[in-house]
Amino acid sequence: MKARKVKGLKLDGPLAENALRIIDVRLAELHSFAGAARDPRRTKELHDMRIAAKRLRYVLEATAPALGPAAVQGAKDAKKLQDVLGEIHDCDEFAPRVEAHIAKLRAEDASVVRAAAGPRSKDLDPGAARDAPNRLRYRGLETLRTFIVARRDVLHSAFLREWERVEADGLGAGLLERLRGTTIEERDGND
Amino acid sequence: MAKAREIPGLTGALSFRAAGAATVETRATELFEHSENVLDTGDIERVHDMRVATRRLRAAMEIFEPCFPKKEFTRALRDVKRLADTLGARRDPDVHIAELERVAAALTREDAAGIRSLEDELRAEQAAGNEALREMLREVEESGLRGRLEALVAAARPGP
Repeated sequence: MKARKVKGLKLDGPLAENALRIIDVRLAELHSFAGAARDPRRTKELHDMRIAAKRLRYVLEATAPALGPAAVQGAKDAKKLQDVLGEIHDCDEFAPRVEAHIAKLRAEDASVVRAAAGPRSKDLDPGAARDAPNRLRYRGLETLRTFIVARRDVLHSAFLREWERVEADGLGAGLLERLRGTTIEERDGND
Repeated sequence: MAKAREIPGLTGALSFRAAGAATVETRATELFEHSENVLDTGDIERVHDMRVATRRLRAAMEIFEPCFPKKEFTRALRDVKRLADTLGARRDPDVHIAELERVAAALTREDAAGIRSLEDELRAEQAAGNEALREMLREVEESGLRGRLEALVAAARPGP
C-alpha cells in the first residue's frame, strides 16, 4: 500500500510542527481502513491497516523525543494493533502454505500408487493405497490447517476489541490534541 | 531485539531537515553494526536484529524523504528495501518453524508426524535464504550503500 503524501512540510521548520502534519495524515490513513477491517474476510484491508499502523507507529517513535509521552503511548497503541494484525496476516499467508504442502504430498502419493498398476492394467487394486508414502501425514497437516483457521478467527475478535479500545481514545482524534498540547507546553517552556 | 538508539540532540525545536539527517545517520550506523556475523545460522537472533535495524532505517528514510536529494534517495531506499525483503525471506522460515514446533508439541505423536514433513521443507528454505542473504550482503558492500547513505545525510544536513 502506497503511503498518502504529506503536504506542506517545511524542511527548515521545527521537527515538532512537521511531525504533527505527518501524524495527522497517518492517523487518517489508519482510520480509513477501520470499517472494512471489521469484516474478517477483508484480508487486503486488514493487511493494509497493519501497514498503516506500522507507519503511524514509526513516525510516533521517531519523533517521540520531540513530542513527549503522548507520542510514546501512541506508538505503543499502534504497535499493539500492528502486532495483532500481523498475526492475522501470518495466518492468511501460512494456511495456503499448508494447503500447498498437502497438495504436493497428495500428488506424490497419487504418482506412487498409480505406479503400482502396470501399463496395461484396467483398474487399480485398493491395496495399492497402502503404499502411499505420505498417507500418515495428512491428519496432522489437516489438524494444523484447522488450528490456523480457528486461531485467525480468535485473533480477529481480539483485533476488534483492541481497535475499539484505541479508536475512541489512544489513536482517536484526541491523540493529535494531546500531541499539540505537549508541543505548545515545550515551546512556551522554552520561551 | 536491541532497543533503538537515541538520536543525539533530537528536540521539537530542531529543524525537520537536521532531525532527518541525524535520524538516518544513527539508523544507518545501527544497520551496519548488525550486519556482522549475520550469516551464522547457529544464532537466528542476528538475522532478526538486522531485519529490525533495516526496518527502522527504512521507516526513518520514508518519514524524512523530502529532506534528501531525490535521485540518490530513491536508489538508496530501493536498496534498503531489497535488503529488508531478503532478510524477511531468510527470517520467515525461522518464525514458521518455531510456530510449527509450538503446535506439534501440543498435539499427539500421530499428528506431529505430518507437521514435521512441512518443517523439513521450511528448513530447506532456511538454507536457501541464507545463500540469498550472502549474495545480498555482497551487493550491499559492492554498491557502496553505506557511503551513499552517508552522502545523503551530509546533503540533508543544514550548512553552518
